[in-house]
Amino acid sequence: MDEYAVVVKSVSKTFSSGFLRRKYTQALKGVDLQVRRGEMFGVLGPNGAGKTTLLNILSTQLVPDSGEVHILGRKLRGSLAGDQLDLKSRMNMCSGNPNFPWSMTVREILTFYAMLYGVCGLQCEETTRECMGMLDLEEYANRRYDVLSTGTKQKLALAKALLNNPEVLFLDEPTIGLDPDIAARTRKLIRDIHEQKKITILVTTHYMREAEELCERIAFIKGGVVRATGTSADLKTMTNAKDLEEVFLELAH
Amino acid sequence: MLTKILAFAYRNWIFAKRNFFAFTEIVFWPFVSLVGIGLMSNFLDLKGDVTNFILTGAIAGGVLQVTQLDVSYGLLYDIWSKSIKHTFLAPVRPYHYVLGSWCIGMIRGSVVFIMLFIFSYFAFGFTLPSVGMTLIFVSGIYLNALLIGMMVCFLVLLYGQRVEVTAWSLATLAMLVSGIYYPVSYLPGSVAAISQFIPLTFFLEHFRSGYGFTPLFSYTLVKGYALLAAYILVFFWLLQYAFARARKTGMILRLSE
Repeated sequence: MDEYAVVVKSVSKTFSSGFLRRKYTQALKGVDLQVRRGEMFGVLGPNGAGKTTLLNILSTQLVPDSGEVHILGRKLRGSLAGDQLDLKSRMNMCSGNPNFPWSMTVREILTFYAMLYGVCGLQCEETTRECMGMLDLEEYANRRYDVLSTGTKQKLALAKALLNNPEVLFLDEPTIGLDPDIAARTRKLIRDIHEQKKITILVTTHYMREAEELCERIAFIKGGVVRATGTSADLKTMTNAKDLEEVFLELAH
Repeated sequence: MLTKILAFAYRNWIFAKRNFFAFTEIVFWPFVSLVGIGLMSNFLDLKGDVTNFILTGAIAGGVLQVTQLDVSYGLLYDIWSKSIKHTFLAPVRPYHYVLGSWCIGMIRGSVVFIMLFIFSYFAFGFTLPSVGMTLIFVSGIYLNALLIGMMVCFLVLLYGQRVEVTAWSLATLAMLVSGIYYPVSYLPGSVAAISQFIPLTFFLEHFRSGYGFTPLFSYTLVKGYALLAAYILVFFWLLQYAFARARKTGMILRLSE
């Protein structure tokens, strides 16, 4: 298991909604997944496939109904016990369309989240400065979140996700809603972070190009089930497709 | 541990100094209430200690509301800015959340107390019984505010944003039942019985005994602090439960959308 940073075994999750919560939606149906240490792994799938639910489970924001998740060799238990908090301090997450407290500046937001990870004093200043530098955010340091552009907000979300120097980073549709040029720059940033920090990155997307460009291996998920896993070449061979777009169409229907 | 508590204090401090509504909470509402009650006591020609009795309620109400709002805001700021999932992602426990916000609540509460005391001293001749009694009283209000704020956080984590109104209503309800402007003996029978389970009742009783009013209960401070300790412990446990449940039901994610 040490070879893997993330191991998902038969994970299922059902949400209830509506009157008396009697309407059930099964978001994940026995998902199995293994992500190697240092790997950039993609979870590809159409809208509503269960990608975000999976990532929310891995990032401890949701507890699965059944199945097991191991991250960095430790089992996620959905509690606030010491070992679970320790595990949380070794990972982080960044989502597309990020939201942060609107009246705080970039520097204040990064300081606040750094402190939540136990970073304080001079080390906190240094960490926030380093993260702002890595994502070219210095000129926005004293600007309030509500006046930032969408691209800058996304950079801030990435900077926040790097504050604790995570060993595992979850990226949930990191380029959703971004202009093509900003999306391309964000992908480059993600690649650079992966190369510089050698961390395990698990990224969800429904953009084929993004998955192909970024990920060493890809799991295709649909209807809460992993339909196929492999390199983009493996997936093309499996489905007799010329490109990932064809793979997507083949597996999504 | 301290850094994580300070993180929430730092965030609440920024909100408090940057948002106009946070400023009006300190200056506008407590003064409106105090001036209204003070003028009414003048109209009714209330004298000395009876005026002190009534104004104690107005001052306590202002301090309690402002302090507990900060504890509630610890969670509500996250919900309003839809950033709660980032906070839950970090290795924090409920007490970090609550204690950090409470620190700023106590600072804001102290500002309210000092301003209201000075104003009511000059405008209505309000006096304090003694420094010791005042410190005990104010510390009791802070602890009551912590408890009410924790109740609000618990309810919001359980039922979502539709119950955020409790952030403003729960403290008002507690004041009503604990006899904020009157002895609890004036409450209807069943409500008067409930008042004995609200710690604020005992702190008001104890403080007013300093003006010569005989307390309706014995061992007021012991009962007040004992109830507070029990409730606060229970609500720390309940908050822990609510955090875990919110992860199970997906409430955290719903509150982030």
